[in-house]
Amino acid sequence: MAHVIRNKMLGLPNITVYAVSGVVVIIILALLYWGLTFRGHD
Amino acid sequence: MADIGTIVIVTLYFLAMLGIGIWASKKIKNTEDYLVAGRQLGFWVFVLLMIGTVCSGMSLLGVSGLGYKAGWPTIWEQIFVPLSIGVCVIFFGVKLHNVARTSGYVTVQDYLAHRYESPTALRSLAAVAGIIVSLIYLVGQYTAIAIVLIWIFQVPLWLALVIATLVTMAYTAIGGLYAVAWASLIQAIILIVGVLIMAPLIIWYAGGFTHVNEFIGTINPNLVMPWNPSGAFAFPYIFSFAILLGLGLACAPHVINNVLAIKDVKYFKWAPLVAFLLYGAVMFLLKFSGFAGLVMVKEGVFTLPTVANAQDFVILYGIQNAMPILALWAVFAVIVLAAVMSTTDRLMLTIGAMVSWDLYKKVLKPNADDKHVLLLSKIVVVLSAIVTMVLSINPPEMLAILIWMGIGTMLATFAVPLLAGLYWRGATRQGALASMSLGLVFALVFGFLNYFKVKALGIDFATIPLHFSFYAFVISIVAMIVVSLATQKTSEKVLNETQTGWFISKQ
Repeated sequence: MAHVIRNKMLGLPNITVYAVSGVVVIIILALLYWGLTFRGHD
Repeated sequence: MADIGTIVIVTLYFLAMLGIGIWASKKIKNTEDYLVAGRQLGFWVFVLLMIGTVCSGMSLLGVSGLGYKAGWPTIWEQIFVPLSIGVCVIFFGVKLHNVARTSGYVTVQDYLAHRYESPTALRSLAAVAGIIVSLIYLVGQYTAIAIVLIWIFQVPLWLALVIATLVTMAYTAIGGLYAVAWASLIQAIILIVGVLIMAPLIIWYAGGFTHVNEFIGTINPNLVMPWNPSGAFAFPYIFSFAILLGLGLACAPHVINNVLAIKDVKYFKWAPLVAFLLYGAVMFLLKFSGFAGLVMVKEGVFTLPTVANAQDFVILYGIQNAMPILALWAVFAVIVLAAVMSTTDRLMLTIGAMVSWDLYKKVLKPNADDKHVLLLSKIVVVLSAIVTMVLSINPPEMLAILIWMGIGTMLATFAVPLLAGLYWRGATRQGALASMSLGLVFALVFGFLNYFKVKALGIDFATIPLHFSFYAFVISIVAMIVVSLATQKTSEKVLNETQTGWFISKQ
């Protein structure tokens, strides 16, 4: 099994922190983009 | 634990819900008022109605229960479920709302009947499929209500179910979507504020965020990984899980019908982000509470009851230990009840709409007057509550599995006819009928084989690498494409009326 580097601050492997926070940030940016560009009428 | 203070707090909550029902009933003049709240929902009522509709019994009990059982690999549930509100608004809501303004849709079946020029066959199939999946989903909700009432009042299951059914049924039946929307506003505020205060207390009591993660990592290293090496919550399963929750919930009839009730399309601008941030925070905290509960159980702080669905009790026992004040337990019970009832009422109203509007008014008796349709809606709300209560007498082993089964069936049945209808001008009536019927049948069959761990045709359905609904979803896509290419296209007039094409909004 590959060596897992621990993120000491959160008590989690780095891959967990990066994977989860990465997906959350991408979603927030996408929804922010939607809000900024949607004009609200057809 | 049913002291007088607890009974008073929970009773006050029930009375408040009934009060909303009575107030809302005075605003109802016709079926449209009852089923789509006169299309007058404002931004916050809409956002909190969407959160309340999506936030189900699983959101409090099942989410923390699953966290307790399987750790961080299940965290994706807390991302995809809040995202489903945005998916619903962006990919379904904007266009459906725009078309509904001119076509007067009351249910999503109205759209399907119009778009596919199938006023009887597809409308009936969509209504029957909607009723089946809503009933499956409702059983999960009533099970969650019963868990809370048993915990707080120490009453037998049947009595807990009767109390839950009577209260929810009463305010939904008399107040329609006005009552459901305003009840959801109150319920969502109770839920969000309550979880933001109480979940950190549970995590703090278990030793804090870092301690909880480090401790569960020592029990099993996979519990702190983002996915499991194989089986459930391995990477392929999580992919199918994203489709299941992100798209399956977004196209569920009880969720998607909400977009028809909004007052102004401009509310769709920020609703996806606001709902994601608010509900995402709540869901993350609930999952962490499940992790904290695991730490407390392993450290001997408390033991779970010896019942089949013991993990679903973890957050209740966690709060009981983190806050040894009886009155606060009652407040927490109200939070859980609020979460569950906000979905239950919407589901019952959706079933009422599908029977009274889609089957009775639009198929069986087109000349029926509005008074009879309205009365039938109310009768069906009452009947659906009673039927579900009876089905909930034997609760499932794990709440989450039953509720995912309901969502999976919604995904396989509704996602493809809706997406293809909105965005592909080549999708035909026959394609939609084939896609919906095959999706429904295969979701039910695969769900049955998976739930009862059947081995058939050389396949062990208990260990299939993707969620069972994904296979039925793929069958639904193939059926739509193949049959549509082989059959006659919908008329250009209807395609233009329903704004069909590869765009979200004509800007």
